[in-house]
Amino acid sequence: MHGFGDLEAVIMDRVWDHDGPVTVREVFEELQAERVIAYTTVMTTMDNLHRKGWLARVKEGKAYRYTATASREEYSARLMREALDDGGDTQAVLSHFVAQMDGEESEVLRAVMRRLADRGPR
Amino acid sequence: MRPALLLFGYALAVAWWAPPLLSRLTGPGVSPRLGLAAWLTAMASAVASAAAALALLIQAAVSGWSRLAEVVCRSVAGHACAQTVYTSAVFELALAAAAILAALVAVAVAWRYGRGVQRAQRRTHAHAEAARITGRGLPGVAAAVVLEAAEPAAYCVSGRPGTIVLTSGALALLEPPQLAAVLAHERAHLAGHHHLLIALTRGLGAVFPAVPLFARGPESVARLAEMCADDSAARRTGRGTLVAALLAMATGAAVPASALGVMACAVTVRLQRLADAPRRGRRARYGLALAAAMLLLAGLPGVLVLIPA
Repeated sequence: MHGFGDLEAVIMDRVWDHDGPVTVREVFEELQAERVIAYTTVMTTMDNLHRKGWLARVKEGKAYRYTATASREEYSARLMREALDDGGDTQAVLSHFVAQMDGEESEVLRAVMRRLADRGPR
Repeated sequence: MRPALLLFGYALAVAWWAPPLLSRLTGPGVSPRLGLAAWLTAMASAVASAAAALALLIQAAVSGWSRLAEVVCRSVAGHACAQTVYTSAVFELALAAAAILAALVAVAVAWRYGRGVQRAQRRTHAHAEAARITGRGLPGVAAAVVLEAAEPAAYCVSGRPGTIVLTSGALALLEPPQLAAVLAHERAHLAGHHHLLIALTRGLGAVFPAVPLFARGPESVARLAEMCADDSAARRTGRGTLVAALLAMATGAAVPASALGVMACAVTVRLQRLADAPRRGRRARYGLALAAAMLLLAGLPGVLVLIPA
């Protein structure tokens, strides 16, 4: 469940959960089961997601059938690359909890932890 | 003319001499909040002084061509500067060209700076939005999302709203109190608008990479912002928990509260207790020095302008 009630996220959740393409009507009916929502709101949001590149769509009869342009895993991987690519061309300002360490630094810390753990709590 | 030169000289002095001084005062991280304010004051003061100097120069150039020509000529050539030299068309043209060039460079620099900061902000907000759509919510924590990735990582990214991103690897690694420490740390970043400070100062570093104050400033601002967030998290969840969380995230190995967590806690609490008595005096000393530096940095340009010519 999303804390913000962020509709774009909720709709992408639904689209990713489906194996094949979905229509606005199908997503609307699923969402309606758990919240009060207007059909046009779902339609507008899916249109926005299409405009932003998250959804691809094909016209079928009178309605569009939507599919995600990439899987959730692919998006996660893309975000992680952007987040961990320090000083690359991404230029996004992110505050990491800890800076990435090189192998040697990390090994020194691990050794300190092992020593502390061996001594055990007294 | 003289206030403009004084201001410009002051800006150069701050840009070259403030970094070593501030690095000494803020290096140990005794009072990161004041340190952060001091670095920002130094950078703002240098930029404002240089801009004011330029404005004064242009104003003088516009309001009194012949007089300015005379002053510049005299200051360069002294009494050898005869009236025929400084009223000559060539000299006035050269002076006008210099003033126009300076103004153009200033405009170009300001434009590059604005565009760089704006681009970084846009990317940051796009990242936050993508993370919110891609990530799954973290139950009970409205501002956080979880990305499916083995590598332990935790960061926050400003946007509307600001978002804390955790990987599933980090969630698997951290015990609940440690997770609370991480979240408190990231929340402090968002609440303190640290992203904005980092973006604004990084922009200056990108535009003036050869000026020590702007080359070294962004890194110091980022480091002090981390310390501010650490202090905030430590106040909420305790130093030991924060240390354990840092160790776990840094090494990628779990730090069980039962073993090392307790040790780390005991060690830091003891260290803290031992360090506390002299620390208070140390903090006051550093605080006073930083406050004095800030007053000087903020006040001196005003004094320079008011000095009678």
